[in-house]
Amino acid sequence: MQAPETTDCELTVIGTGMAGMAAALFAANRGLSTVQVGHSGGILFASGLLDLMGVHPVAAQKVWQDPWAAIDALVRDEPHHPYARIKKEDIRAAFDELLGFLNEAGLGYRRNGERNTQVLTSLGTVKPTYAVPETMWTGAQAFANKIPCLLVDFQGMREYSARQMAAIQKERWPALQTLRVVFPDTENVAEVYTGLMAQALESPATRKKLVERVRPHAQGVEAVGLPAIFGLYRTREILADLTNGIGVPVFEIPTLPVSVPGLRLKETFEFKLPAKGIRALRQQQVLEARPSSQGGFRLGIGDKAIEHYLHTRSIILASGRFLGKGLLAERKRIRETIFDLPVSQPVSRSGWHQKSFLDPRGHAFNRAGLEVDHCFRPLDAGGRPAFPALFAAGSILAHQDWVRMKCGSGVAIATAYAAVRACLEQK
Amino acid sequence: MQITFFTFTLYLSLAICLIGLTYRGWTWLKLEVGPPAERFSCGQRAAAAAQGLLRTLLSRRIFAVLKVLVLDVGLQVRILKADLRRWCMHMSIFVGVLLLVLMHALDEPLTQALFPDYASTRNPFMFLRNLGGAMVLAGVGLALYRRVRIRGLRRTTRTGDRLAMGLLALIIFSGFVLEGLQIISAPIFDQMVEDYLGTDDPEDRAALKVYWAQDFGVAFSGLKASADAEVWAQGQDLHEESCAGCHSNPRAAFVSYPLARALQSMAGVLNGMRADVWMWYVHFLACFGGLAVLPFTKFFHLIATPLQLLVGAVENPSPAAGANQQTKRVLGLDACMHCGVCTLHCSVEPVFRIMGNPSILPSEKLASVKTLAAGRLRDPEALAAVAAGSFICTSCYRCTRVCPAGIDLQDLWSASRQSLVARGFTEPHIWVRERTAAEWAAGLIAPQASPFPALKNKPRHVNLVDQTETFSACVQCQTCTNVCPVVAAAGDSARDLDLTPQQIMNLLRLGAHEMAMGARMVWDCVTCYMCQEHCPQGVKVADVMYELRNRACERLPAVKQAVHGTPLCERSSDPGRKEDRS
Repeated sequence: MQAPETTDCELTVIGTGMAGMAAALFAANRGLSTVQVGHSGGILFASGLLDLMGVHPVAAQKVWQDPWAAIDALVRDEPHHPYARIKKEDIRAAFDELLGFLNEAGLGYRRNGERNTQVLTSLGTVKPTYAVPETMWTGAQAFANKIPCLLVDFQGMREYSARQMAAIQKERWPALQTLRVVFPDTENVAEVYTGLMAQALESPATRKKLVERVRPHAQGVEAVGLPAIFGLYRTREILADLTNGIGVPVFEIPTLPVSVPGLRLKETFEFKLPAKGIRALRQQQVLEARPSSQGGFRLGIGDKAIEHYLHTRSIILASGRFLGKGLLAERKRIRETIFDLPVSQPVSRSGWHQKSFLDPRGHAFNRAGLEVDHCFRPLDAGGRPAFPALFAAGSILAHQDWVRMKCGSGVAIATAYAAVRACLEQK
Repeated sequence: MQITFFTFTLYLSLAICLIGLTYRGWTWLKLEVGPPAERFSCGQRAAAAAQGLLRTLLSRRIFAVLKVLVLDVGLQVRILKADLRRWCMHMSIFVGVLLLVLMHALDEPLTQALFPDYASTRNPFMFLRNLGGAMVLAGVGLALYRRVRIRGLRRTTRTGDRLAMGLLALIIFSGFVLEGLQIISAPIFDQMVEDYLGTDDPEDRAALKVYWAQDFGVAFSGLKASADAEVWAQGQDLHEESCAGCHSNPRAAFVSYPLARALQSMAGVLNGMRADVWMWYVHFLACFGGLAVLPFTKFFHLIATPLQLLVGAVENPSPAAGANQQTKRVLGLDACMHCGVCTLHCSVEPVFRIMGNPSILPSEKLASVKTLAAGRLRDPEALAAVAAGSFICTSCYRCTRVCPAGIDLQDLWSASRQSLVARGFTEPHIWVRERTAAEWAAGLIAPQASPFPALKNKPRHVNLVDQTETFSACVQCQTCTNVCPVVAAAGDSARDLDLTPQQIMNLLRLGAHEMAMGARMVWDCVTCYMCQEHCPQGVKVADVMYELRNRACERLPAVKQAVHGTPLCERSSDPGRKEDRS
């Protein structure tokens, strides 16, 4: 067997979710020699919507239209939340940089000034979010103004019903019409899949057929909403084509994960980051980690066996929580999987969850994670930085319940930004 | 008595050889490889062959044939282009045998007619005979070395190959020993003196003995070692007078003479028992044995391979192409001398290392096809093994390109596959469609015997399916199904594929291996790895599919056998998917 090669780098980003991708981007933009390690990544689970801050306090389920005011309130009430360690202008700068990158790569995002935008989801619910893909922007406008709209779904598509959405929104948005059509070339198919429909729409011929099926029913409406399937690569072209063909503005409605906008983000990051100089070790993980004698770390990377060794000056740990395998819920405790760092968690397992699954306060289990210092270095048991050059970002951080707070992307992007900056300052 | 026995065995072996040749020639017109639809009668094939022959002889195509005759048959340029060492090996056997047959075996009818002063003990004939023998022995030695040293060749070397090399070596070696024994033989000397020396004077005879003992290596018992020069000169005079006309100095027999010197020490015993006569029996019986078995052994390639090369030189545009095609296929089967070069270049040879089914290797598959064509392959298990091996071939054409005999192996394989299909043996991905995943699962629940015993004791290099960690991370997010091009192409996945990739992962997660094995998704998977590369949880979806297919390949045939009541892959009379499982 070949001896594993050794690479030297300044920064290793562990994780390929939103925080890992953002950290890799910020590091590349600042000229750090960076290696990124991780499986295909939680980025696939992204809905495409980028939240900043939506709900606080969680128990009261108070929805904020102004995310910045929400952050102020949050930081006042919960001084350990990661947002408490970042200046607001840094959060804004982080978003600007990331959205600029995505826009350049063909994934345009729109914001409602400094305010949140309400977006209709495939479940018929409405979700507050900060940055909206341009393919969904018309839908958000249509919802805001309750203009007459046609919602389209497809025969054989699961977990997506135009009628259900219209029924739930009936009171608020009576001008909704619905239509079920057969997606082109799936006439005899029992089940259709969003990923495959998105790929089919990359072909102009399929778009033409879809237009022909929808256009006759789009009379008298001002916009048409379809599930998020406007291709993976030529999304802008597909949006324009469908809008021109159908004759009114067309928009995407986010579907349940794993969804096409998540695939788009994955493809974009995986394609564009290496072009910026990131060395990506995909489908691999950190199997061995130890501080090296020259300072920094020596990491053993591979799939089953170690295939590479990395000498890295610093690390940003963005390995996520349970789904991303950054944290592991053992029988008695929650463990951090790579460095076995202390994890902030309830004293015993009985404190992990509320009695009721749907308890509005959420569960302590979902606020478990790493304690960090002011520059996002995880702390050891004594409350000091565990390693001088180990930083953490994203959902692995303690004291935040991003799912209920609607702050997932914001925490990921902002903490990645702060961690990269702290890493740079150390250089 | 000796002559009678010699003549009798000669004519006997000649008769066997001729009968054998006739039989082989007849099989060229009789046997067939390929689907039954291409059947032609013996007469049709003979007529087509004759017609083709005439058309070739009377057209410009004859030049192409002549070119092949000179370059490929005579100079064996095909082998030379491929491998110089192999060419040296084959050429030295080929030239050596040709030399010995024409000049030595056929000396009476041929050499003597061309050279009236021919005598086997005269130069250059004596030297040339040694040269021919040395070349053959060197060639056989090289062949042996190749078969021992090259792993791929060692593996495919069979009794037939050893027999051919052994018989050839025996013929040549016995010839050398015979000549050596004749050189030292005092009884032969005495006999010759009796017949040819003009004088009865004992002094003359003694002088000739001295001369022949010293210069010709004859071992006389009781002859003084030192003799004076005068007696020797007298012997030389007598020699010049009576012997030199037929006898050159035996030192020209550069193999036999040193051999004779080595035998000198035992000469008394050897001459006393007339070892030369015994060795003569060994030599001619070995030769006649070789002649008799020629049509039935590897030696037959002497005839079939040049013929194959010549026939191959002619593109066959005639209306009789179909009939001739059949004849050419059978000729091709005979033209194979089992050199094993095809197997050395076979693309799917690594599969053989795992499966251990020799019918994967072209050189061995050809032998199986030969028995199949001869109607001697009837055992259903053996047939199934040949079918399994045949269907692993990827039709990459490499065997056809490297075959020194110019056999159209690719055509043979496609024809033999078709005849196997006609007998009801199809590829697994075809017969697996005969029932649904659920129906297969029902049959798989009971443990089945593996149709490939070699697989049983092989350790599994990859074992994903049995490990819970393989699937523990799966969250059933459908990404694998969403990016799968096979699902995209299938239309209705429930109808066309039984299960989608994510459903298969779910079944395996639940331990329902049997349910997944017969799913057409598993069999239609193109292992493009889209699923695996996209899986957010790092599940090795494509690797699992591939492993499942391998496992199913081991287990499903036995289920099929149990269901049909017929062994392994025999075709069922009912092609429908819903069949009774009694």
